[in-house]
Amino acid sequence: MPRPGFVLDVDRSTPPTLFWRGEGFSLEKLPADRSRVIYPAEPLPAIDDVDGAIRHALLHPVDSDPLPALLFPGMKLTIAFDDVSLPLPKMRKPDIRQRVIEAVLDLAAEAGVDDVHIIAALALHRRMHEFELRHAVGDRVYDAFAPRGLLYQHDAEDPAGLAFLGATPQGEEVEINKRAAESDLLVYVNINLVAMDGGWKSTATGLASYRSLRHHHNPATMQASRSFMDQHRSELHKSNWRMGKVMRDHGPKVFQIETTLNTDTFPKGFEFLSRREWEWTMRDRASYLGVKKSLDRTPAKLARKIFHSIEAPHQMTSVQAGEVEAVHRITTEHVFAQQLVEVRGQTDILTMGIPYISPYNVHSILNPILVMCMGLGYYFNMYRGMPLVREGGVVIMTHPCPPDFHPVHHPSYIDFYEQVLSETTDPVRMSTEFEERFATDDWYRHLYRTSYAYHGVHPFYMWYWGSHGLQHVARTIIVGGDPKTVRRLGFTPASTLDDALEIASDVVGRSATITHLHTPPLMVADVS
Amino acid sequence: MKALVIERKLARFAAARITSMVAPGRAGGHGPLSCQEVDAPALPVTDGSWHELRPRLSGICGSDLATIEGYASRYFEPIVSFPFTPGHEVVADADDGRRVVVVPVLSCATRGIDPPCGPCAAGQINRCERTAFGHLSPGLQTGFCADTGGGWGQRMVAHDSQLVDVPAELTDEQAVMVEPTACAVHAAKAFAGRPTVIIGAGTLGLLTLAAITATRGRTRNQGPVIVTARYPHQVAAAKQLGADRVVSGPELARTVRSLTGSMAIGDQLTGGVSTVIDCVGSSDSLAQALQVVAPGGEVVMVGMPSNVQLNMTTLWHREVAVRGCYAYRRADFDTALDLVGRLDLGRFVTQTYPIHDYAAAIEHASNAGRRGAIKIAFDLRDRPRPIRSVR
Amino acid sequence: MARIRNGRPTPLATGGNVARAVRTRTAGEARAAVARGRARLVRAQFPLRAPTVPRTVEVPEDPDELGANFDTEWARRGPAKAVRRLITAGPLAALITVVADPTVIGRDRLDDLRRAEPVAPLIFAPNHHSHLDIGLVIRSIPEPWRSTVTVAAAADYFFDTKLKGTVAALALNALPIDRHEVGRTSSDRIRELIDDGWSLVIFPEGGRSPDGWGQGFKGGAAYLAAKTGVAVVPVFLDGTGAIFGKGMKRPKPGTTTVVFGTPMRPAEGESTRRFAARIEAAVTVLGDEALTDYWTARRRAASGTNPKLSGPDYTGWRRQWALGEHRRSAPAGVRRRQRRRWPDLG
Repeated sequence: MPRPGFVLDVDRSTPPTLFWRGEGFSLEKLPADRSRVIYPAEPLPAIDDVDGAIRHALLHPVDSDPLPALLFPGMKLTIAFDDVSLPLPKMRKPDIRQRVIEAVLDLAAEAGVDDVHIIAALALHRRMHEFELRHAVGDRVYDAFAPRGLLYQHDAEDPAGLAFLGATPQGEEVEINKRAAESDLLVYVNINLVAMDGGWKSTATGLASYRSLRHHHNPATMQASRSFMDQHRSELHKSNWRMGKVMRDHGPKVFQIETTLNTDTFPKGFEFLSRREWEWTMRDRASYLGVKKSLDRTPAKLARKIFHSIEAPHQMTSVQAGEVEAVHRITTEHVFAQQLVEVRGQTDILTMGIPYISPYNVHSILNPILVMCMGLGYYFNMYRGMPLVREGGVVIMTHPCPPDFHPVHHPSYIDFYEQVLSETTDPVRMSTEFEERFATDDWYRHLYRTSYAYHGVHPFYMWYWGSHGLQHVARTIIVGGDPKTVRRLGFTPASTLDDALEIASDVVGRSATITHLHTPPLMVADVS
Repeated sequence: MKALVIERKLARFAAARITSMVAPGRAGGHGPLSCQEVDAPALPVTDGSWHELRPRLSGICGSDLATIEGYASRYFEPIVSFPFTPGHEVVADADDGRRVVVVPVLSCATRGIDPPCGPCAAGQINRCERTAFGHLSPGLQTGFCADTGGGWGQRMVAHDSQLVDVPAELTDEQAVMVEPTACAVHAAKAFAGRPTVIIGAGTLGLLTLAAITATRGRTRNQGPVIVTARYPHQVAAAKQLGADRVVSGPELARTVRSLTGSMAIGDQLTGGVSTVIDCVGSSDSLAQALQVVAPGGEVVMVGMPSNVQLNMTTLWHREVAVRGCYAYRRADFDTALDLVGRLDLGRFVTQTYPIHDYAAAIEHASNAGRRGAIKIAFDLRDRPRPIRSVR
Repeated sequence: MARIRNGRPTPLATGGNVARAVRTRTAGEARAAVARGRARLVRAQFPLRAPTVPRTVEVPEDPDELGANFDTEWARRGPAKAVRRLITAGPLAALITVVADPTVIGRDRLDDLRRAEPVAPLIFAPNHHSHLDIGLVIRSIPEPWRSTVTVAAAADYFFDTKLKGTVAALALNALPIDRHEVGRTSSDRIRELIDDGWSLVIFPEGGRSPDGWGQGFKGGAAYLAAKTGVAVVPVFLDGTGAIFGKGMKRPKPGTTTVVFGTPMRPAEGESTRRFAARIEAAVTVLGDEALTDYWTARRRAASGTNPKLSGPDYTGWRRQWALGEHRRSAPAGVRRRQRRRWPDLG
């Protein structure tokens, strides 16, 4: 039986705690008697017969007819799937999306469906490389569909490829992929790594255009989302659900398939990363030392390559299909069953080690803007109830934060860093003064559509992602970060964790309480 | 009298060039420049049209450094005369008691050529066709001519037409900035109110920026003016002078692309800014200028180039004009006087040196950016003022 | 004659090259030694040679140790296993790569079983065109099965002489099996092996294709699966027939495709014959997948229109002609299908 997550009170016998630092990590001693470490739950047991479970879910859906009953010869069937941003790290082959898509295709073949399109629902994310598509959907599906142009990636900037479905009572325009909108059935194949994913967000965001996305990807919505992980208190999700209603009334019939994974995150040789330090065996300690020493001697580029080649042994813990909202309710339960950790009370200082990966830099570089987004956008928001850190508290991240950008994947990020962050770090000012120019820039549009670049507006969204965090905490300190870069982000650089705690004491006093998020593996703090 | 003198010693020029390649700025002590006791220059004509001047402050200009360090083009050889005392950014006391700045260009009027050449007749003295003729030795400017002396000596001579009175309210530091500012005023005429890039934020770049921002209209559509700056003090100065955007060199192409909504093909922008004012004059700066200039646009070379290596295909393909921009006209000095006072440009004189300390001065000037300086000058006043550093 | 040549005066007297003279003499002596040895062998008598049999007696036959009775037990013990691992990783893999250049797809269908603890043995059931198939399958099977796989090989072909049988057992871990009728002994032996954790490659067609088209599947694999509870992996092999098909004297290097299918188990109460038919159908779909693509194969499987491995019913040149058409619809052909140069007479 896997042990649930728990909160450790640091005392004088507590061994140093693991902190991620990008493509590396360190062991840091947290002050005794006023620090806590939140450990995630151990991975839940997985479903043994994955293919059987998938087939069962398709044949016995929630609040919907079985999939075979929805399929008929001559129909237009569109299968959309989550893009490269999920799961993290990429999962060992075969990817869960491949299994689900093959199961759906088998049923479609039996039903005599000929017209099938498979679309990567990547919204404003970058196009996936061929090897990434192959990883996600498998070689069989790729080779069968891609050469005929039936497996492709959603293009949010193709005027001919978008369909306007209507607007919500709040005036939010719903515009999604035309093929998906005009299909007789839209099957969405989702991976739910965190509670934020899935539901109407899959279709209303994944297949949408900028025109549609700007209604919920903006500072106001993000600041009003009191954790993206809590659908009921997230303005982002409310907006998506409103759009979902428009889709239900005017859009295609949606058959949602959601899967949840356990938190088995690191393969053999790296298990120590998800183990509690006092349980490290001799082998764990040896591999920690070995990995750390060799990383110290490895050029950053190579280290990045090594880390991004890690494939997680994630396994499926549940699969459910059917009506979007009903399915998502069950999914969320499964996600929380794995990830929720009960935490009592807020803290003055929240510390977090930022790892090498985020949803937006798979096979790429975690640039400074993504560091901010990981810290204040994701980790800060890993709560239900109230934020882990009190209002006016301090967030301390550890990351080297070099001003490195992937020239192909993140061209607009470079310009954002040079032209916007040099002027302001205020999300509201950004959105009024700069967003439009970036969003409508032909060059970014060109790179997004034909190359592998994130959309021009994407760096803004990343910054908005952290806007509640920016508002909430009084100071953000990045330990080990490149000072110039950290200052450009509007944060405070510190060379060691002790220095950072010292700097923080200006804001929160000398006896401030400290809480460390021991993640990844992922968790959500249920703060009361 | 004491003066710094450049002699025509080829070995010394060669030594200077090698030295400065190894250790930038160290050529002052090893090069063709030396501090000597020489005779004060005689008045070329004694009809009262020439005056003896006692320099007060005299700036060190980029073209002086190029000469001292042996980088200057061989082109100059026939239009200078050795040995000469450099120094053309001069504020001086004239023999009639006036405090003046010198318009250093040695045009027809100063050379006793009458009638003057076409450009001179039209007031375009910087384009004078007689810079090596007349009763003066060859020399394009005071400070490059064996007969006139220069600002880096205790005495020099200048023609009536070269003198511009300095209003009493201007300090010497402000006045010594008038000549480079006049240069900038001339360069700033290239600004047509459209997006413009100034490459380089040394003295010339900053002053050109000042000349543009001080004269352009108040509306936001004037420009924007983008300046590339390498060092923090340059960034601060450029921002303070009203640059719309100050970027580092590598950021320039990206910024221009983004601001002009241009596309890019390889490193070349498809669009760009209509005017680039290059205040550096190196192969790199010119290549960068061609990278960001719009088709049909203009690259104005304000910084003095020497032999540069350049791929001109883009110039041909995009019908880009590259135009030189040398010196100033008389009227530019009036504008410059106004600007210098209004914007207190004297603060750009970072440090002054006595002339016997010339090696240190040259080294400081050569490494101005790195050492946080903008303009270095020689102080020839009787009672040298305490060194002051200005931000 | 040799003696005369050897007795020739050396060219020393004429002032020739000493080294050449020495070389010539050494070579001559060696040749003479060989000739002497051969002569001795030819002259050797009875204890050194097998006895001749008197015409009037009849020697009783030895118990048959060839064919289906060939003992291969030793090939699954320590040293032979180690040697085989070297052969599989080295010469066998190299040979297959050079001659057959295989593209292997569908290995991921075995991933679930591969990660199970402990890994269960499998029965691999490929179609059969060529002797090359055995090596190709062994090379393509993923670990951990590769090192624990035995091959059911035709007793009459591979085990007809002691040498061939030994090589087959050592290099391929081949098991002699009577292709016409699976005897109780060989089937029992195989079941024991599977129970011991050995996997098995068995060609359900019972022999190589005579004309490039497949033959009907026999029940061997299905029977063993039903008896042992081990899953059957349908495997489709394409291209080996053209490289070293039945009747070819020497291989003609080319490219091959190996497709692994989803492991299958007999349904409850399913007869061996039914299950065998299902395995054949699965291999047929894989064949379609290899030559067209996954989606086309699945759709045709659903409507029962996958091109049959056994080819069209008609015979003669039209059957051969259709084989060419069949092969041409490989992935490149789907994208750029060539116009038929001959009307379809099907």
